[in-house]
Amino acid sequence: MLIRENKIDPRTKLTAVILISSLAVLIKDIALLLGIFSITFIIALGFGNNPLALFKKLKKLALLFMAIIIIQSSFSSGIPLLRIGSITLLTIDGFTKGILLAIRMCIIIISATIISTSSPREIVQGLIQWKIPYEIAFMVSIGIRFLPLFVDEIKDTVNAIQLRGIELDKIPIGKRMKIYSYVLMPVVATTLMKSKRLSIAMESKGFGIYPRRSSFKRLKLSKVDYLLMAAFLVGAFTIVTVYLG
Amino acid sequence: MGFIDLNNVSFKYKDNQFIIKDVSLKLLKEDFTGVIGPNGGGKTTLGKLMAGILKASKGDVFIDGLNSQDLKLGAIGKRVGYLFQNPERQIFAPTVEEDLTFSLRIKGIEKQQILIKAQEMMELFQLKHLANQFPFTLSQGEKQRLALAGTLINDPSFLILDEPTTGLDIERKKQLTNILKKLQKKGVGMVFISHDDDFINNLSTRIIQLIGGEIVADKRK
Ligand SMILES: Nc1ncnc2c1ncn2[C@@H]1O[C@H](COP(=O)(O)OP(=O)(O)OP(=O)(O)O)[C@@H](O)[C@H]1O
Ligand SMILES: [Mg+2]
Repeated sequence: MLIRENKIDPRTKLTAVILISSLAVLIKDIALLLGIFSITFIIALGFGNNPLALFKKLKKLALLFMAIIIIQSSFSSGIPLLRIGSITLLTIDGFTKGILLAIRMCIIIISATIISTSSPREIVQGLIQWKIPYEIAFMVSIGIRFLPLFVDEIKDTVNAIQLRGIELDKIPIGKRMKIYSYVLMPVVATTLMKSKRLSIAMESKGFGIYPRRSSFKRLKLSKVDYLLMAAFLVGAFTIVTVYLG
Repeated sequence: MGFIDLNNVSFKYKDNQFIIKDVSLKLLKEDFTGVIGPNGGGKTTLGKLMAGILKASKGDVFIDGLNSQDLKLGAIGKRVGYLFQNPERQIFAPTVEEDLTFSLRIKGIEKQQILIKAQEMMELFQLKHLANQFPFTLSQGEKQRLALAGTLINDPSFLILDEPTTGLDIERKKQLTNILKKLQKKGVGMVFISHDDDFINNLSTRIIQLIGGEIVADKRK
């Protein structure tokens, strides 16, 4: 069911994202969550996301999930699943909690990619037409636009540090912590300076002077949008009913 | 064999079209190689390929005889010094002095020696009066000098400089020219990417022109 991405109204996508992430937070049943996960994945594909890129995103998070599972285990006093000496590494309770959290995060991450198939401009317009104040809508769109740049910046900085002849994998843990602070430093500093520049530029262009803005471009919901939104709502409702009943 | 060899190298970012198209080059330590060309011609991309920061999509890059595909950035950094087009990319520490010295400290070099080197570099790039300043609020030219000093303090045997003269005033540019000439006498090889004709003509022994990802001219003086 490949729908051409630009035809779908950003509000339809926002509806999907909001419903999906609410479900992910609400539901605590692994089987249901797995179901929601696969549905989310299919919806994301339908909106024109690249499946390989999605898998890559999730692969990078695998380590984090392992850590979550172990940490959850160490804080829960359940039946031990795996232990080394007297230290319990995994408990059934911790394992389930960790898995739940991991699936939830996957669902939310994938659902977030749905909205990224709309341009920030369209998203702002969609939010405005939902009567959300322009300032807030604008900030959301800046966030969406800057996130990938932010990731690139961190990568660049890690590269640049290594280019000073530092071989990360040969460095003891203690010193490695110090290196992470050197990564954070420029990222935070340049982000702060960027936002300062941006706010000056915005003000000099008269941002926020007029209480009401008019927009040239108006979004219009099509039949497909209404159908999809209805389908999402019915779907979400069904899942909740199944969960509660 | 050159210090850096590119054999039929093509490169593209993700799924886009090729930015570098079938480029072969031998870069010698004896040369001062200038890379020129219009905006978006692929100079920075080529420089990053030479330094092993980007890996070729097709073809091979050899740095000091080793395939860049197998080299970790940390290992490359011990051989090649790279100056990013944007100096903010390579400033890391809360003070100018710490920024210069942190890599040496992490490598476990003796304190006394680090101190001497830092003084030497701050002298060379006129950063002494800024030693305890917060580097991110320095002026553009000061940031550029700090980034250069931070690259050179590791004693690289080959340098790749992306637009090293941006933000430098005429006097500082002259000084940079002299510093680079001195380095060359010490046997350090160099590639610099620049739009600055004076600078290129003054320093280079070889000029490569890159347009649309292809080498359209490669002249030796
Ligand atoms: N990270 C990236 N992802 C996708 N495309 C990129 C990326 N970096 C550069 N490009 C594209 O590659 C092309 C060459 O860029 P490059 O930075 O190598 O040019 P340049 O010759 O250094 O230009 P300038 O003189 O402006 O510094 C440009 O069209 C640019 O849009
Ligand atoms: Mg460039």
